[in-house]
Amino acid sequence: MNEYKKSSLEGRYLTFYVDGELYGLELSHVIEIVSTQPTAHLPHVPAYMRGVINLRGRIVPVLDVRLKLKKPAKADDEKTCFIIVAYNDFRVGVIVDEVAEVCSVADHQLSEPPLQQLSDEKYLQSIADLGDRVVRNLDCERFFAADLYADGIRPASQEEG
Amino acid sequence: MSYIDPSMEGMLDTFLFETGALLDQLDEILLACEKTKSISTEHINEIFRIMHTTKGSAAMMGLESMSALAHTVEDIFFILREDPARMQSVNEELFDLVFQASDYLRGEIDGLQSDDYQPADTKEMLQKLEALAAAMKGGESPAAAAAPVQAPPPAASEGVRMIRVFFEDGCQMENIRAFMLLNQLKDVCEELDSEPQNPESDPNCAPGIVKNGFIIKFKPAGSLEDVHRVIESALNVKSYEEISALPPSQPFTAPTAALQEYTVRVFFEDGCQMENIRAFMLLNQLKDVCEELESDPQNPEADSSLCKQIIDNGFIIKFKCAGSPDDIYRLIENAINVKSYEKLDKPAGPAATQSTQAAGQTGAGGGAGAAPKAAKQSLISVNQSKLDHLMDLVGEIVTAESMVSANPDLRGMKLENFSKSTRELRKLTDELQDVVMSMRMVPISGVFQKMQRIVRDMCKKLGKEAELVTNGGDTEVDKTINDSINDPFMHMVRNSVDHGIEMPEDRVRAGKPRAGKVTLSAQNAGSEIIITIADDGAGLDRDKILAKAKKNGMLTKSEKDYTDKEIYGMIMLPGFSTNENVTEFSGRGVGMDVVRKNLESVGGTVTVESKQGEGSVFTIKIPLTLAIVDGMGLMVGEQLYILPISSIRQSFKVSDSAQVIHDTDGSEMILLRGQCYPVIRLHKAFDAPGAVSDLNEGILVLTETDRGTACLFADELIGEQQVVVKPFPPYLAKYGIKERGLSGCSIMGDGTISLIIDCVNLIGGLEGR
Repeated sequence: MNEYKKSSLEGRYLTFYVDGELYGLELSHVIEIVSTQPTAHLPHVPAYMRGVINLRGRIVPVLDVRLKLKKPAKADDEKTCFIIVAYNDFRVGVIVDEVAEVCSVADHQLSEPPLQQLSDEKYLQSIADLGDRVVRNLDCERFFAADLYADGIRPASQEEG
Repeated sequence: MSYIDPSMEGMLDTFLFETGALLDQLDEILLACEKTKSISTEHINEIFRIMHTTKGSAAMMGLESMSALAHTVEDIFFILREDPARMQSVNEELFDLVFQASDYLRGEIDGLQSDDYQPADTKEMLQKLEALAAAMKGGESPAAAAAPVQAPPPAASEGVRMIRVFFEDGCQMENIRAFMLLNQLKDVCEELDSEPQNPESDPNCAPGIVKNGFIIKFKPAGSLEDVHRVIESALNVKSYEEISALPPSQPFTAPTAALQEYTVRVFFEDGCQMENIRAFMLLNQLKDVCEELESDPQNPEADSSLCKQIIDNGFIIKFKCAGSPDDIYRLIENAINVKSYEKLDKPAGPAATQSTQAAGQTGAGGGAGAAPKAAKQSLISVNQSKLDHLMDLVGEIVTAESMVSANPDLRGMKLENFSKSTRELRKLTDELQDVVMSMRMVPISGVFQKMQRIVRDMCKKLGKEAELVTNGGDTEVDKTINDSINDPFMHMVRNSVDHGIEMPEDRVRAGKPRAGKVTLSAQNAGSEIIITIADDGAGLDRDKILAKAKKNGMLTKSEKDYTDKEIYGMIMLPGFSTNENVTEFSGRGVGMDVVRKNLESVGGTVTVESKQGEGSVFTIKIPLTLAIVDGMGLMVGEQLYILPISSIRQSFKVSDSAQVIHDTDGSEMILLRGQCYPVIRLHKAFDAPGAVSDLNEGILVLTETDRGTACLFADELIGEQQVVVKPFPPYLAKYGIKERGLSGCSIMGDGTISLIIDCVNLIGGLEGR
């Protein structure tokens, strides 16, 4: 069962639009897609962290991909979706403009982004060229790193006055 | 957990839990024994049993160093069991060493929980223990010397030893491996013999070696440890055990001597269930060491209706064996769930008299211990995460219940039967909630018990004398709280002994009894549990604290203006430690600060009272349960906040704008009955959008905490309600939301999330800023 599951998820990506651009997430990280939910706003968090939602009794933080990628904010509409991602031990929702499709990507269609300079704001894992469209695949590790690990190498859960 | 065989990982939790419990038990017994300066047979047996179990389970987990250590301790108590008279000569040293061994085992258990576990070095400890064992054996007590030659206490002989070696499963060619092992041992042993003999010449003996192990008889040329080491490092050796040391006078051919028949009646523990299967398992265990094994009833495993017979008449085992049956009795005694056993016909000879006596003791021990043991059987251990999950579910049921009964769709409808049913449901969920809460409650005596050990160790090291008295150990607290107060407690008890209790001479000079007294007491007070740690030591030195605070630049007003309470409170501020000399135990300048933080993380508070020369009292207050909070709903903008009712003093509207005073920096205060309180605007504190900003329009709630009183400003009061606290997702841990005054969130009846205000941090944070 597990093997079947693994092979059926491997090389498949959930693609979505953010500010007109097509992004992808490895399907194996995606738990579910839910429509917009009322969000409890939290104090003292970065602007892209919209707050927490109640996902069937579970408190899940959600972050706005638009703001995270420094794009202009946009009000939610009927196409706005929360993609619930499981990464390591936690769950987190990412807010995207519109979910596109699930697509299979073969290895030869993938290429790595050039590593010119390392920056905290480079989140791409790979770029998939599907002929008619190009998908940018997000690297979960890097995408969530800013929230998981404190700045630099400082251990997490620091309190500031 | 890379060190553990992956196939055993599933067992690890159980192993850690059980071994931890056993070690706690061990400490308890040791402390009790040390106090009375004597060790009863019952206790020796108990310690023996604990070490035996630890050894077995550690070996099962593949933790050889732990197993070896437990084995050595077991050996010592085996010697003691054979002849308690030996106790006198080694009293003090023995306790110290066994305590050390227990610490080591505990350290390993802690270590095992981390991923990069590596076994600690036991060599030194093993050597010490073995030296002790040797000293005990060497110091032939009169009783042992007088013992008849035919049956001297087996472990007392320094002669031939027997070791049973098992090879790894499926390693093939066991006979050759056995031969190779023999070869290796040649260098460190004299008079080497084995069973089967000459294994290399007969491949047919391999299955026998697999089943019964390969028995090596030898006389160690050097230390026994050398031999153990050789065996341990040999290829493919899975495990080995010392079966029994033969008396030197006995020839190796003894096993073929005349077989004697013995009959034993075994009783299992009350209520242990499936007695027939247990009997069968016992028979299986005995199979290897007995010949001509018979039982009544026969084939107990085949018929579960035999249980009653076994309960009523006991399970009778007839076996024949050569030599002393003591090993077999030992096996029976140590088998799981065996309450007691008796010998039905006794063969003549000194060995028998000795073992009858042993049986009598066991019987007595079993009889005395029967009641508590039976009580133990009605307990089961449950993984805490399951309980947590259950708790979560109950929380959700409570929420779902209010979702249904107060469903907006039903508003304005007359539903007589429906309300009746929902009332019934409400009653049941309330009851369910109570039961689940009570399941998570554990008596605090476990924490108290550990403190005994700390006081003992510290007194020994510091040359002080102190006694720990505990009251109200049966007070129950939530398991999570119980776990989280362990460390703060340890710190505080250490502080009390280290800083509080004076040296015996000083105490005598001050007209106090030589031995100091540390009193731990716990009591329930409504929704809180109050724990005090009191000592009759020197008390806190007011002037010293003030001077230190001044030196550290912590004072903000004139020295004379500080009340005692404020001054004593200073010792709990970060970076404060009065003891100039940092000792091994306390005084690293983080002590009480950490204590306070830990306690606050479970919603507790700590206060100090002290009288110079008479001692100090630390009082800890912790809310009994954390999971469900009685709160007042406050609306701020579009977000609902819950303020715990216990801290609310009053709520009011600002009628007169003149009540509001602005400080020079613009911060607001309000004058209420002659007292001035700061105003905390929740919409600012929690940057909530869309909130009322005019103080006249909203409402103020006067909130009191130990760290200050303030008026919280919100849009409106929604009403009182019970909410289930859910922690913020760990994902958000980095942002320190907790430190900013929100303790968690809660899911309301309509599915929205409310945020729970943590008054202590909210108001305390104001102070710091």
